[in-house]
Amino acid sequence: MRAIYLIARREFLSYVATWGFWLSLASMPLFMGLGIGIPILIESSQPTRYYVLVDETGGSLEQAIFEGAEASRIAEQERAVQAITELVGDSPQIEAAIASQTLENDGGRYVRISPDETGLATLRPFLTGDALVDTPEGEQPLFAAVYLRGNAVDGIEIEYWSTNLTDAGLRTQFRRSLRDYMQQSRLRDAGISAELIETVNALSPTVRELNPLRTEEAAEVTVAERLPLIVGAGFAFGLWMVIFSVVNMLLTAMIEEKGNKILDMMLASCRHHEILIGKLLGVAMVSATLLLTWGSLAIGSGITIQQFASATDMPIADILAAVLDPGLILPAVGYFIIGYMMYGAIFLAIGSLCETLQDAQSLMSPILLVMMAPLFIIMTAFDSPDSPVVAIASWIPVWTPFIMLARLPLDPPLFDLVGTTAVMLTTALIVTWTAGRLFRMGALNHANQDTIKGWFSFGKKKPVSEA
Amino acid sequence: MSETILTLEGVSKSYSGKPAVQNLGFTVERGTITGFLGPNGAGKTTSLRMSLGILAPDAGEVRLFGKNPGAAAMDRVGFLPEERGIYKKMKTEDVIVFYARLKGMHKDKALDRAVGMLKDFDLGHTVGMKVKELSKGMAQKVQIISTLIHEPEFIILDEPFSGLDPVNQKSLEAMVKSQADEGRTVLFSTHVMEHAERLCNKIILVTHGNKIFDGSVAEALGEVPRRVIIEAPADQNVGDMLGALGDVVEDDQAEDGNRCWHVDMKTSVDAQDVLKACVDGGVTLARFEPVKAHLHDAFVHMVEASPHKGQETV
Repeated sequence: MRAIYLIARREFLSYVATWGFWLSLASMPLFMGLGIGIPILIESSQPTRYYVLVDETGGSLEQAIFEGAEASRIAEQERAVQAITELVGDSPQIEAAIASQTLENDGGRYVRISPDETGLATLRPFLTGDALVDTPEGEQPLFAAVYLRGNAVDGIEIEYWSTNLTDAGLRTQFRRSLRDYMQQSRLRDAGISAELIETVNALSPTVRELNPLRTEEAAEVTVAERLPLIVGAGFAFGLWMVIFSVVNMLLTAMIEEKGNKILDMMLASCRHHEILIGKLLGVAMVSATLLLTWGSLAIGSGITIQQFASATDMPIADILAAVLDPGLILPAVGYFIIGYMMYGAIFLAIGSLCETLQDAQSLMSPILLVMMAPLFIIMTAFDSPDSPVVAIASWIPVWTPFIMLARLPLDPPLFDLVGTTAVMLTTALIVTWTAGRLFRMGALNHANQDTIKGWFSFGKKKPVSEA
Repeated sequence: MSETILTLEGVSKSYSGKPAVQNLGFTVERGTITGFLGPNGAGKTTSLRMSLGILAPDAGEVRLFGKNPGAAAMDRVGFLPEERGIYKKMKTEDVIVFYARLKGMHKDKALDRAVGMLKDFDLGHTVGMKVKELSKGMAQKVQIISTLIHEPEFIILDEPFSGLDPVNQKSLEAMVKSQADEGRTVLFSTHVMEHAERLCNKIILVTHGNKIFDGSVAEALGEVPRRVIIEAPADQNVGDMLGALGDVVEDDQAEDGNRCWHVDMKTSVDAQDVLKACVDGGVTLARFEPVKAHLHDAFVHMVEASPHKGQETV
């Protein structure tokens, strides 16, 4: 036990002293921050586009476009409010903030300018950048010149002049507005009243999702109830990420020790199984530190958000309850231990057989393929955790830790729970025992990567030299 | 009667069916320096690993401190393996303390002793430095300190001189002697005979996994024929004259028109007998040189004469 403790402690401290550990620690909040921040940054960094709109029909099409844009904006706001309400509950502040955005103050990416001369010959140098227009942001090239011709009955032509081929926002906005205008004009011409058209456009079914296992009063399914499914799949994905990261740390450290001949010195002081267990424990402590830090940050962030948004009925408590549900947390800890033990032992054994990362690569490829598969199945489980493919895959013991985590919120059958756990535990013991034997052989230079390859080449064996 | 620290009896070990060690047996007595000699691939490392229980023998018995080698015995042993390395990113004293704690020493005591031993080995200035900043020779000294830090009763060194420059080899020899003077038992393997000849009370010679000699250095030297080199004028046939005293072989290295002979004397003959025969025969000696045998000659002689020569081992 003394040797195991000392080796585990040394491993833990050696990892904690590296930049890689601190980068890993910062990676999760950093990626979350980037995930939220980058789209906002991209959106806010878009330049304002200045355009000229020329309605050659006298103004009716121009008015239709602006009415259409306003209607689209209102519809967008309603969708945003609905989405926010579904996600965090009723929030008068957020709804008010969204509603306060008008066509004039929403930061308008496309700004219309009205020069005296609007002929194409005059505007062409501005469109090509040979001449610049005066704007509040300084001189800029003209983004587009749009000429509207025709009428709703015979057809409308939008002549859109621009050197920018990728930004289709303005073009799409005009096309949609005028398409709606044409459709409504035709309906009005057919004798249908504007009120009826508006009423028809507003028609949409109301969906109530109900759970037949409950009484009628309590049957309504809420978003909070779906959280465990999302959290379960999230846990599975997180578990995969953590195990994959730490076993790679184990592998590279093991290869470094093998290459530096440290293992022989270690074997002079302790037994091979003490080294194996000590290293596994040391890196497990590193993983636990990462997980605890990330978990604490997530919970802290959740509580902080709730404090700032105390006026809302945001279901932070539901989210935290789903995340901290012992029915999910305890299996997650167990699956982490077993999954880590299986993959960690395999990677340590591979490391003990190889002196360079190149040596390890050929042995790693099939294992990486096996490790990648549950990632795709977890993605399937996000949409349909009750899929037969997910259920069958959860019986494959090296995938069980990840996939069963995603299945747990659906209360899988007891047989599946007990059966997959039994198969997984048995496999974990066999894998760890075999990896321990391989580790011993590798540590004593009685086997190398060619030995493993030899097992899969119909009995051909390459002798290993021994002093 | 001296206490036996290590006993190997009829020990054998094979890898993939190829023998590495065959029916090996020897003992190491307390307070002695024993040399475990043999050419590369003779099975020395395998034998030492079996001695410590790192490897289990296929047959035979190993007894360390009178018992099967187990974890408890490891604390009483300091083992420097042939393939050795230390954590390059750790500080020198931290590495030594780490290995000392693996052997059961208290942290503070280990640190005090580590700093002291670093000073004793002229490495006092490396305290606080990382191992990667040390030269290869310095790093090897740190490894040796790591082996000795817990003051083991029994020190096993596998090829300790390999990779060291002559100055450091001399320092290591002095260290081995001082450890023995302090009452510790030392067993070391090498294929460089000079170290063994200077240090060992006893040598065990193995080749192709088999023991071919077990005894003192003097006994080993007794195994090799004693030789006299004689140079005389070309017209004097010394070969015929000395044939009765041993094997006489003419060498072509003579100068100034002389002829040169190597006389490998019979057991009952010494150099005085050869000199007397030359004087009695009226030989005009240009050179008469009794050659002192070295362990290297004994080693080569015994390996060449071994019935196991040519056997394949791993």
